[in-house]
Amino acid sequence: MKFVDEFRNPELAQVLSREIAQLCEPNRHYKIMEVCGGHTHTIYRYGVQDHLPENIELVHGPGCPVCVIPMGRVDDGIAIAERDNVILTCFGDMMRVPGGRGSFLEANARGTDIRMVYSPLDALRIARDNPDRQVVFYAIGFETTAPSTALTILRAEAEGIDNFSVFCNHVTIIPAIKAILDSPDLRLDAFIGPGHVSTVIGCRPYEWISRDFGLPLVCAGFEPLDLLQSVYMIMKQFTEGRAEVENQYSRVVSYDGNPVALKVLANVFALRPFFEWRGLGSIAHSALQVAPKFAKYDAELRFEIPGVRVADPKACQCGEVLKGVLKPWECKVFGTACTPETPIGTCMVSSEGACAAYYNFGQYAKQRLTLEVLS
Amino acid sequence: MTPDLRLAATQACDVTDGCITCGDVAVALTVLDVVGADARCRDELGREETVATELVGTVQAGDRVLVHAGVAIERLAAAATGG
Ligand code: SF4
Repeated sequence: MKFVDEFRNPELAQVLSREIAQLCEPNRHYKIMEVCGGHTHTIYRYGVQDHLPENIELVHGPGCPVCVIPMGRVDDGIAIAERDNVILTCFGDMMRVPGGRGSFLEANARGTDIRMVYSPLDALRIARDNPDRQVVFYAIGFETTAPSTALTILRAEAEGIDNFSVFCNHVTIIPAIKAILDSPDLRLDAFIGPGHVSTVIGCRPYEWISRDFGLPLVCAGFEPLDLLQSVYMIMKQFTEGRAEVENQYSRVVSYDGNPVALKVLANVFALRPFFEWRGLGSIAHSALQVAPKFAKYDAELRFEIPGVRVADPKACQCGEVLKGVLKPWECKVFGTACTPETPIGTCMVSSEGACAAYYNFGQYAKQRLTLEVLS
Repeated sequence: MTPDLRLAATQACDVTDGCITCGDVAVALTVLDVVGADARCRDELGREETVATELVGTVQAGDRVLVHAGVAIERLAAAATGG
């Protein structure tokens, strides 16, 4: 597949890696956060860190949609599914996220009907096929995924499908980045900006990061060379004394994003005053709820939701991992009590979670693909 | 039968590769034909899926789109790839 080889070419990787090393000031330590879990996955899968000088440290950020779901919201989903006649639908990784009362998979073993779907449109189809059941879509994800939920609500309305509703947990990336920058725990030098989120929101919403905090941000693609090139672009900004928002992924991301998707989002959703993020706590204006004019599709209004806050298990250090303060292997239960098969925390569930990515491709790696192997 | 991309994506959901939707992964697909607001699309491996196109405007056979969760979220230039 030529189209992929182009972005995994080992010679190009070496060239980039040499040029990055030349731009490094030897006595300076650089902390660059990749916000998006997809990037974390690529970094571990291909050992991108091995191609960087020791004083450039890649720090993993909060951009894994599954990882940031607090336990209480999992319990709320189970409470909905336990109602008579309800089919709850969700994306695959969500099935295994532990809540205070176990995961969706465990709830199914007790008799609920929670089904995995690939798209909210599949949930809508299930509603169409089961007119005598209530079908609820458990929506998670950043701005990449929120438009598909919004579009599904618009289609439900257009088709007059009334037995469909959405339990909305969509979150927005900018307030999470702000929370990290405001937190005293971590000093960062630059950001690798999310690729697919930026397809929707564009690059403009990040400009305050450069302007107010003086930090470079480069939106990056998901191939190993994309990441190396983004680090190169960041280092170049340092040496030239610039702090700007740049777009490495211009083959996909346009600087202004997708205006139609943004309009649909603004139409169907409203900002929540607050939303609790796992590990990061409550963040103002960081999540979406179904807008009042689409209230009939809001599962939080259709069903009684317990809405209890459930504290994370004591052993769990996901919060520190999500903020980039701890590396996955520094968590006390990593790889012992907490593994992808028996996750304690969310970061071990989704393959984009830093813990699962490191567990699967880090020192435990049976299948890490290095750029050399690919040659 | 043409392999179904959506089915493949659902089945691939495990601890190594994970759920592509949860992972914010988007895939580059080529439009085969258009039925109302939906388009039948194909990936590089010949797998097909039906995709909602309202967010990218009118598409026609041969167009390339970036797809996430069964919805096209952006148009791509002819040679571009997703990731
Ligand atoms: S090892 Fe498990 S509990 Fe510890 S931070 Fe990772 S996911 Fe959370």
